[in-house]
Amino acid sequence: MNFTNTQIHNEMMPSIDDVILKPISKAYIKVIIVNSVIVYGIILSVLTAIKVFLKKEVIQDNFWYLFVIVLVICAFNFVTALLAFKKRQYAIREKDVIYAKGFIVHSVTTVPVSRIQHIETSRSWLDRKLNLATLNIYTAGESGTDLSIKGLPNKEAKQVNDFLSSKVNENN
Amino acid sequence: MKIIDYTKPVRQSSKGVLVIFALNAYKFIRHFFVFFIAIGLTISKKESFKFLTVGTLITIGIIILLIILIVAVLRYLNFKFHLTSDEFHLSTGIINKDITIIPKSKIQNVYIKQNFIQQLINVVGLNIETAGDEKSEIHINALDKPTALRLKKELFNKILTKDSDSQVDDSSTVFYRISTKRLILEGISQNHLRSFAIITSFVFGLYYEFRDYVKEQMLLERFKAMTHFDNDSFISVMITGVFMILFALLLSLLFSIIKTFIINFNLEVLEHKKTIEINKGLFNKISLSLTPSRIQNIIIKTNRIKAYFGLYTLSVKQAMVHAKQQKNFVIVAMNKQQIEHLVKKLYKTYETISEVYKPQLYYKRILAYRMLIVIMILNLVAYMIFKTNFWLINIVLGLISVLYVNLKYKKAYYQIDADYVTVGRGFIDRVTEIFEIHKIQSIVIKQSVFQKRKQIASLEISTASEDVTIPYIKEDEAKRIYNFLLFKVESQDKDWM
Repeated sequence: MNFTNTQIHNEMMPSIDDVILKPISKAYIKVIIVNSVIVYGIILSVLTAIKVFLKKEVIQDNFWYLFVIVLVICAFNFVTALLAFKKRQYAIREKDVIYAKGFIVHSVTTVPVSRIQHIETSRSWLDRKLNLATLNIYTAGESGTDLSIKGLPNKEAKQVNDFLSSKVNENN
Repeated sequence: MKIIDYTKPVRQSSKGVLVIFALNAYKFIRHFFVFFIAIGLTISKKESFKFLTVGTLITIGIIILLIILIVAVLRYLNFKFHLTSDEFHLSTGIINKDITIIPKSKIQNVYIKQNFIQQLINVVGLNIETAGDEKSEIHINALDKPTALRLKKELFNKILTKDSDSQVDDSSTVFYRISTKRLILEGISQNHLRSFAIITSFVFGLYYEFRDYVKEQMLLERFKAMTHFDNDSFISVMITGVFMILFALLLSLLFSIIKTFIINFNLEVLEHKKTIEINKGLFNKISLSLTPSRIQNIIIKTNRIKAYFGLYTLSVKQAMVHAKQQKNFVIVAMNKQQIEHLVKKLYKTYETISEVYKPQLYYKRILAYRMLIVIMILNLVAYMIFKTNFWLINIVLGLISVLYVNLKYKKAYYQIDADYVTVGRGFIDRVTEIFEIHKIQSIVIKQSVFQKRKQIASLEISTASEDVTIPYIKEDEAKRIYNFLLFKVESQDKDWM
């Protein structure tokens, strides 16, 4: 089970193992926490509202089981999200953009610069408060393959955006 | 024959009015069909609508048709197109004027269509597609055939020469023409489950639209009364069940055959110097040319029964072509040699696979887990329906799962050479995906925490039309492929379109 290629020597090819990935801004962990708290808060309060307003026996009897299950799922989700924070890394090479993410399923995506259709930066309200930005990179591929690098320091996002934009325009 | 000069804005053939009119009328009727029936039913019952005699209704109908006709004429008058040396210009719109300009180099497909009305009045429609969304598509409704062919040729020509009509036609040979026998075989060996699903959804759709009237007529009650059984006559239920299933199967079979027949009637593949032309269709005649450089992926499909009859299907995927159009790029019922020839034609340096690599056995385990989850859910459902004896379904489910895991693994393989990636997959179907390395848009390497310990990873490779997965291979090998594919894409200066 070997992948061989006689034309090019493996050593000559740049390897993703050699790339030093750069972590995103530490401040982004606050965004993760705030987002999680909002989502879990909504779920749990809806659950509580159901208990208060629907006086059905099934719900009243099993409420605490359900509540604990949901709470455990939320807690698990939260912990993995925090662990996954450290895995959010990126790198810009001369000819491509690399983005790594995910704790339970770790993925490393690479998009060659020559395949980028357009780039944009977007900033949510929280991003603006924390001076962060999200860099979106679009390819012509299926929509799932677009890269979205979240939690970059705003200045860095701008630099990367300008750098890649000039590269993309150069290619065209 | 009068030759139209495309360099100045021209209208389509005057018969176009008729085509536009027919299309709009059809659309109108289709949209308001249910509404008409509803109104009709209300009127027939209510006294207050008595003043609406047959005469007035006909007048209303004629007025509506007249309006549609006037709109059609205006649309026709405002629809002008012309060609410059490297662009196609189109201006449309009655009140809001639109001007569309398409550079020739961005044209992905030009194809000639002939629907039923167009066949009747002997004109053809011409579609121009770019790799954009549906809106950027251009339909010219009515051209006479020689004009359409000439226009198509000129759209493909990089430079428009003045005396192009005197040019020699590039020679073409008919490479493949479907026979009735193979067409019927193809119909029989279709996936009937899909046909069954289509029929069922159609029936449900009809029911949904007319449910109020169905309820009114108490059809359901009558039907229930008709098919009422005693609870203990288990055998009669079984027999009826078997008959129902047989009937459904027969209906699906018939549907599959007729559908295949209508879509692929007179399917032929013409080989030009650089392109390949596909012609097919009974009510909707379609003629389209494939340019090899515009192809993103090629997918070859067969299954056990089809392979036995020597039936292979080839689909060509292009960037951003929506599902409805995608169906046109399918060539059915070719034999193995024809498939090989065609692939060779589209992918010049493609070598038929000699040595293939398989995913790790870990893939089998993942497949088994997946089936286990499905079985658990189905058991839960079965428990709710049958209560006792629900576990009996596990006999069937178990058998299917074993088959699923083994067949999926058996059919999974991959091969990568200097210019192409080939990936095999499938459960019932045997699917082969081929694409050129320089068409790759992005690559993802994926690994779960469990796989990290076993040093296994998966690759997801995306082109502009498909995401292809190479599942569960050794980590170092996955990385080597990852590096190699990126190196290939980035070191060559080849464009993906």
